[in-house]
Amino acid sequence: MEHNYDVVVIGAGNGGLSAAASSAKMGLKTLLIEQHNLPGGFATSFVRGRFEFEPSLHEFCNIGTADDQGPARQLIDSYGVAVEWVPIEDAYRVITTGEGADNLDIIMPFGEDAYVDRMEEYVPSSRPSMEKFMALCKDIMDALAFIRKSSGKVDTKVMMKEHSNFLKCGGYSVNRVLKSLHMPEKAQRILCAYWCYLGVDCDKTNFALYATMLYKYLQTGAWIPKQRSHELSAGMDKRIREMGGDIWYNTRAKRILMKDGKITGVDTSHGTINCSHIIAGCSPNAIFGEMMDEKDVPEKQKRMVNARNFGGRGFVLYLGLNRSAEELGLKDYSYFIYGSMNTAKEVARAKDFNDHPMQATVCLNVANPDCSPKGTCIMSFTTLYTQDVWGDISTDEYVTKKREVAENMIRDFEEHVGVTLTQYIEEIEIATPVTMARYTLNPQGTMYSYESSDWDTLLARLMMLKDDQIVPGIRFAGGYGPRIYGYSSTYMNGDLTARLTATDIREEKAL
Amino acid sequence: MKQFNFHVKPIGLLDMLHFKKLVPNRAEKLAEGANEQVTSVYKVNRMSEFMHPATQMLTIDEIIAHDDDTKTFILTGQYIAPFRAGQYLSVYLTIGESVITRPYSISSSPQWTKEGKYAVTVKRASDGFASDWILSNWKVGIQVTTSGPEGNFYYEPLRDAGHVIGVAGGSGITPFLSMAYAIRDGLEDFNLTLLYGSCAESDILYKLELAEIEKNCDKVKIIHVLSEEKTSCYEYGFITSELIKKYGGDHPYSIFLCGPPAMYNFVDKEIEKLKLESKYVRHELFTSPASPAGLDGYEGDVQKQYVLTVKRFGEQLSVPMKASETVLVALERAGIAAPSRCRGGECGWCRARLDKGETFTPSHLDGRRMADKTTGHIHPCCAYPLSDLTIDICPE
Ligand SMILES: Cc1cc2nc3c(=O)[nH]c(=O)nc-3n(C[C@H](O)[C@H](O)[C@H](O)COP(=O)(O)OP(=O)(O)OC[C@H]3O[C@@H](n4cnc5c(N)ncnc54)[C@H](O)[C@@H]3O)c2cc1C
Ligand code: FES
Repeated sequence: MEHNYDVVVIGAGNGGLSAAASSAKMGLKTLLIEQHNLPGGFATSFVRGRFEFEPSLHEFCNIGTADDQGPARQLIDSYGVAVEWVPIEDAYRVITTGEGADNLDIIMPFGEDAYVDRMEEYVPSSRPSMEKFMALCKDIMDALAFIRKSSGKVDTKVMMKEHSNFLKCGGYSVNRVLKSLHMPEKAQRILCAYWCYLGVDCDKTNFALYATMLYKYLQTGAWIPKQRSHELSAGMDKRIREMGGDIWYNTRAKRILMKDGKITGVDTSHGTINCSHIIAGCSPNAIFGEMMDEKDVPEKQKRMVNARNFGGRGFVLYLGLNRSAEELGLKDYSYFIYGSMNTAKEVARAKDFNDHPMQATVCLNVANPDCSPKGTCIMSFTTLYTQDVWGDISTDEYVTKKREVAENMIRDFEEHVGVTLTQYIEEIEIATPVTMARYTLNPQGTMYSYESSDWDTLLARLMMLKDDQIVPGIRFAGGYGPRIYGYSSTYMNGDLTARLTATDIREEKAL
Repeated sequence: MKQFNFHVKPIGLLDMLHFKKLVPNRAEKLAEGANEQVTSVYKVNRMSEFMHPATQMLTIDEIIAHDDDTKTFILTGQYIAPFRAGQYLSVYLTIGESVITRPYSISSSPQWTKEGKYAVTVKRASDGFASDWILSNWKVGIQVTTSGPEGNFYYEPLRDAGHVIGVAGGSGITPFLSMAYAIRDGLEDFNLTLLYGSCAESDILYKLELAEIEKNCDKVKIIHVLSEEKTSCYEYGFITSELIKKYGGDHPYSIFLCGPPAMYNFVDKEIEKLKLESKYVRHELFTSPASPAGLDGYEGDVQKQYVLTVKRFGEQLSVPMKASETVLVALERAGIAAPSRCRGGECGWCRARLDKGETFTPSHLDGRRMADKTTGHIHPCCAYPLSDLTIDICPE
């Protein structure tokens, strides 16, 4: 049987799902293939006993309320996917366990004003600099919208005139700009607590990137799908088919077929598919390393892939507890527990195993009370590694190492939040980079694709959209795409990539 | 835009330069990457492939016949995946027209994987299809294909009590045997008291092996419970709450159960009397019953015949299906290689989309994700048809 498509999307993670949905919606004949047996990649769920766990999502950015929709909700709505969104109340509670200035325990709310007010409570006289910061965030959002519209060709005169604030800070790191705003150091550090969502320290994170991320969270809050991320992914699957797209699970892309430098199809574990365009939800490493002959990969492309650094490799401990959140004394949804407020120090610690791994921990029931049976609750504890350290563990030590890290994280949480969890553990699951490599095939099991560090930041990627396209007919939709990783970003990436692909197809036809 | 005063660097023009440098800077960095073959397979990826192979090709190296109805097969392979005592292998079989899988607990010590060996023990099931076939067809030297190690029926110190009472019935001893070996070999550290139910002394599997482990390892205790034979050295009757209390001593202990459905039915009621928190009671998989007749909530007619229409990768075909069988079995009988592992609703491996029609899933087997229930997905291994069906499957 012959299979002919306009577009084949490889990988049904967030990026692949939205790419396939946008592509099908635009009327392109679309096939989405996924090596695993269900959609979502990281955006999925798994069941153990009485509990259905959320593997990855803490806070979905850019959703907003039904009346005041953020861009991600708009996009998902535009596909006709019905998701029941649950709001998160506070932005985060951050606890730092060091001495003196490094000993903190504070809760920051969503909402621009509320955030500034709360900061003033914790750090008196931080208000002026915080207000400047917020104003700057707004300017950056405007400037970015302008840059996006100019698709790679930015008018410098307009930039100088209309977006000078952005120009003053757009190229610098978070820490440098915050300092120049004369923000008290403590406030700077509290403000940086989201660093782990990028996995890069604030000396290396581009200010524009961090500021817009934080600002979007403050503006639209954070949301989660009521029935875990799988609700969203399953809903996407349904709508992609209804819009005319096809989906094949348990199907692994093996080779990209080319003739005279043009894509002609994909060989998969279930036969050959003819197509002229590929959208990859998987890594460029897999496409250019595993699916093409080395001689077919242009030198520039090879260098480009080899130059990138992988982002954080995740470790997540999941607990199903047989007491309710109230009974356990868990009042907050999101806890960041760091050794210190110095992000560079924290990132340096994440190079290797250590007895007190930083953690981003969530108690799902605080936001989503019915997510598990009455009298129980679900928690997840995430830490990340900046190197492939789990690859050095022998298979003999693997289970013990997993448990050791898990124990350390539970102990630290119990100690610093002042609760007892251990004796209430009814279900436990531990995912390491090995687990993530198994289910998503990401190189080194990374959950953050290519690190968005100083030189490879979102802004630079967006401005180089055209230069980055080296092998015609292949574009990248997931976290490896121009708008980087994270739920909201990967959804946007998928849509952007599908629209660019549709343009490619139109232009080719016009020739 | 409100102008306000702040300077990262003093002069505005430099800012512009700095901003404009983002692109050449990145271009330069990208060009500095090595002109070498690209890869996506790193240490962690190789580890994951080793630990979770999609399939394993194994050779039957040795067969130990326990009696007419039970044999242990030693399977060998060059690089076989490590496992946690209590896990199972899903075995792929082609029997006549049918393409099927069956889960078998690994009965050997996890240590054995070092030498490239697993053992599985197969006992004839009454009206057994696969077990019958395996017992008469698996010979030394034959190649068999299995999954990697699967399942969550293993000891976890962060969750379970340090004392585990294993309740085993018949061939349900196999995962416990592996656990006992693991304790003996120092790979696991917990106290295991095994209440092992058999009909008569002659039905006890691995009697010598268990006795040998018990002798050499004070963390493992074996209590045989015979239901049809009274002797002075064994307990007599069924496994009751009294018996559990007698050997369990003071709580906390965790109870692990593995055996036939009839045993679960009986022992679960006994365990209820102990009023334990549910975290202390863990079952190995229930497998789907051979017929849904009499199950809670079942309102179908098991005599009926239906048509199952299967879509896979753009093709479509129709096969007959009995109301009394699961959708998975109907697929397998028709020779359609459908994915499956646990066959008890839990692992989700068989997940399929139901396009049209209605099915019945027994509540105790329903391990579907919440959203799957509302988006029309089923686990064919435990879904019984109530009408003609159209499903979409993606074989491995
Ligand atoms: C623990 C954890 C916590 C996180 N928390 C948050 C959070 O709070 N907020 C947030 O915004 N983000 C969070 N993230 C990040 C977010 O989950 C990811 O950035 C995002 O899901 C990545 O999506 P993706 O589209 O790149 O694809 P992936 O999820 O990586 O999916 C790629 C897909 O491609 C498939 N595939 C690969 N190779 C092939 C092939 N050859 N053939 C066919 N299919 C193939 C894979 O199976 C997979 O399904 C978190 C991640 C983790 C792990
Ligand atoms: S085979 Fe495991 S759920 Fe069906």
